[in-house]
Amino acid sequence: METGVNSKIVETTQVSKEVLDICAARKKNFEFWGPTPREARAAAVAKKKGLIDKRTTIKEAVDKYIKDGINIGIGGFVNTRVPTAITWNIVKKGAKDLTLSFQSISLCVEWFAGAMIAFPDMVNFKRVELSWWGYEIIGISPLLRHLTANEMIELDDYTNYGMSARFKAGAMGVPFLPTRCHGGSDMELVNRGAMIKCPFSGDNTYLVPASNPDVGIIHTSAADMYGNARIFGALCTCPEIAQAACHTIMSTEVVIPNDSIRQYPNLTEIPFPVVDAVCEQQFGGWPGAVYGMYWFDMEHFLQFRSLGNEFKQTGNTDKLKKYYEDYFFNCDTWDDFVAKIVPHKKLIEMRKNDGQQPIILT
Amino acid sequence: MAAPVEVSPFEMIAYTGSRVLEDNSVVFVGTGLPIIAAMHAQLTHAPNVNMIFEAGSFASILEQGMPMSVGDTRAFRKACFAKGLCAAFELTQRGYADYAFIGGAQVDQFGNICSTYEGGTYLKPRVRFPGSGGAGAMAANCEKTIAIMALEKRRFVKKVDFITSVGFGDGSPDYREKAGVLGSGPYRVITNVALFGFCPDTRRMMLLEYLPGKSPEAIQEMVDFELVMAPDVKEMALPTEEDLHLLHTKCDTAGLFLKRKVVEK
Repeated sequence: METGVNSKIVETTQVSKEVLDICAARKKNFEFWGPTPREARAAAVAKKKGLIDKRTTIKEAVDKYIKDGINIGIGGFVNTRVPTAITWNIVKKGAKDLTLSFQSISLCVEWFAGAMIAFPDMVNFKRVELSWWGYEIIGISPLLRHLTANEMIELDDYTNYGMSARFKAGAMGVPFLPTRCHGGSDMELVNRGAMIKCPFSGDNTYLVPASNPDVGIIHTSAADMYGNARIFGALCTCPEIAQAACHTIMSTEVVIPNDSIRQYPNLTEIPFPVVDAVCEQQFGGWPGAVYGMYWFDMEHFLQFRSLGNEFKQTGNTDKLKKYYEDYFFNCDTWDDFVAKIVPHKKLIEMRKNDGQQPIILT
Repeated sequence: MAAPVEVSPFEMIAYTGSRVLEDNSVVFVGTGLPIIAAMHAQLTHAPNVNMIFEAGSFASILEQGMPMSVGDTRAFRKACFAKGLCAAFELTQRGYADYAFIGGAQVDQFGNICSTYEGGTYLKPRVRFPGSGGAGAMAANCEKTIAIMALEKRRFVKKVDFITSVGFGDGSPDYREKAGVLGSGPYRVITNVALFGFCPDTRRMMLLEYLPGKSPEAIQEMVDFELVMAPDVKEMALPTEEDLHLLHTKCDTAGLFLKRKVVEK
């Protein structure tokens, strides 16, 4: 197989030689920013694989699996079915020297970033493997701008398919997947994938390395106590992340009986052995939307983005600090936090705004 | 003959976006105007256009109104197929998405688009943008790429800072083949005052249509590279009262996108 191939991007790129050299070295001396596929395999082999009751609290699961220095794979898509309750618990506990991996994420990564700016000794991450970080129609992330302009984090950029394919490779137990994207763009030069000449078709084809996070964090619609999970609406890349990760912490809106799972086995998107903790948590994706359960709480995205914006403009961290103190450190549980910040009436409205998307819980 | 109607910039983009879609095709949409354009097409000349949303929905019925974003649960209403990102992009890679509808911060004469950063370097950007998201893979593998941008000189640049979504690269005939991507590449660039295509021989951006009241020269003034002028360059078609009524009452009913103001720089 011919490797070290490039498209004509090398002739037309506007990226400086100095940056290209650094990125080329990063490719050449490739290291997984987390477990290798072999290490991930060993983690799977080491698991007890019976139908074990894995119900626990998010706090206990986070205490057990989140350690300094790990790679965390974040499920959901932008603000849809995102693991905000798990993220909140991780920030509250504190974790340092992290690598974050995701395709497109909004508030979850914003909470990590805001905490890193307000309480750097408690929460910090050094690297992000991503496709997209922002607020969609609300705007770009001021915190991402700050962290990148000041070289506080290292990024590795892929397309949304690229990151999804990376998790999929991890989930398949293979070290890479070929894609027909990234080539011809500057991502071909700066990310850690590799162009090859396909040994079969002769086509230039772009390989993306597997991503096997130490811990996958996902929020699902429903699951049984063993971890068999149903997802309605967008699957996002949750099944792949859960199966790729060495350990998966799953919060779920509702725990349903195993009988129900067995009645419709085709509805199980995540099989039980890949899940290590099942944490029943209503509104566990707030202020994001969970199909069939509740729709977005746009107001909170605006609120947090304005805190980030103000910090970006003034450099003053007081308001960010106060936000974390009020809503993270001075709340015992996610339920306390949600009760403190969202009026009950609004939760009812969010449920109504979902429009009763049909889901199967029995 | 209907009386002339007042048309806002975003109405013009949405209407033009609708106009370029053919019936019985599949359009991979981004948030905002692309969804509005595809909804309008479904209501008018292209009832059998179906949308792919990158979170994993295909051929949904948007009866709950316009989704706020491509991950919105409303984009999955009564879909024919609901999976995740892998499925959406693999259908696309396989050849089942005819149009990509993407945006970006900068575009060059060969239709390459930047949505990664502007100024500084990749490692230390002056302004870091969200990143590729779906756009890079859509521009690679949807058959035809349609870009929506505001027409400003700082956006229509000679060279983009970083190619996030691949167009025709340096314009060489085999650029996309060597890139290993499968779609045929840039097809249209839609702005509020001009509709662009690409010259088949040189792959350079070509002015096809301009807003009535403007001129090809005026459009050239707003672009930082030399445009090819289509031999039959003409005025853009304007939406009728009925089109505007549909846009406001059936598509963007809350006015989230159509009622935004263009910021003059």
